[in-house]
Amino acid sequence: MPTLDDERFEAYLKQFSPLVPEPLPAVGPRHRTQRMFVLGAWAATAAAILVLGALIVHVRTNRARVTETVRNVGNPEHIQAGQPLTMRSANALMARSPSFKAMVDDLAFRSQTVPLPKGKRSAIAVLGKEKFKL
Amino acid sequence: MYRTDGNTAEIEFLYRQHGPALLLFAQAVTGERSRAQDAVHQVFLKLIEKGSLNQVSDKKAYLFACVRNAALNEGKFQSRNAPLDPDAAWFNPPDRDYAGEQNLRRALQALPRDQRQVMVLHVWGEMTFSQISNLLDLSSNTVASRYRYALAKLRDSMFAKENPCANS
Repeated sequence: MPTLDDERFEAYLKQFSPLVPEPLPAVGPRHRTQRMFVLGAWAATAAAILVLGALIVHVRTNRARVTETVRNVGNPEHIQAGQPLTMRSANALMARSPSFKAMVDDLAFRSQTVPLPKGKRSAIAVLGKEKFKL
Repeated sequence: MYRTDGNTAEIEFLYRQHGPALLLFAQAVTGERSRAQDAVHQVFLKLIEKGSLNQVSDKKAYLFACVRNAALNEGKFQSRNAPLDPDAAWFNPPDRDYAGEQNLRRALQALPRDQRQVMVLHVWGEMTFSQISNLLDLSSNTVASRYRYALAKLRDSMFAKENPCANS
């Protein structure tokens, strides 16, 4: 059982209040601002990475499409039976064929079903007049 | 990720409510204000980071236990018998009684550490002997005994000669 002196002394001691600690760094306004800045920076970085990734995918898709188109230009099978043979497609065929003879042989089996308009000449006819050394 | 819900508000409230006593207790353990401050911050930052105290029945006792563990762990990385800083204030004195504050601080510093802890926990932490015995893993009788010794030493040290409070 504490004596009266003890109680009075305790009361005297309690008049001395302990010092208040410094504010918590994690919940202070400065730290909160820093955290918001860091979160914003992370969000911006993530968005930039997403945009960059989308751009890369877009460019690669386009490149593949162009490559496919270019490949198809020189493909004899790509030339539809109903389409007239032009100089451009003939040149492409010649570039891709192992030899001129092979190209002509390939084209020889294609029937010209569509009549050429007036003033236009068939590429076969033009090439046929050329003298190539085989 | 820090939570900003009601749990954080509750922890902030606990920090405002018990922070001064916890800091004083950590000072009594570590003997150094900066290390004590670090220990208290460490405890509350972990609480904010990891969640709530909903499952803790005696939150004040839990906080004192956490601060004690943090202060002791902090002390393992420092020198084990660090001298108490004689110049740093521990209290806000009543009526600008700075001499009394210095007197009290020196008297507390002169106590053995186990008695000093019991003294701080009971007087400024407002914990019962039962709570202190659970916290320090001692019997209630031992705690009460340490407190009586500490109180007597403190009073002798502070008021033996010059203060009339000792004579009343």
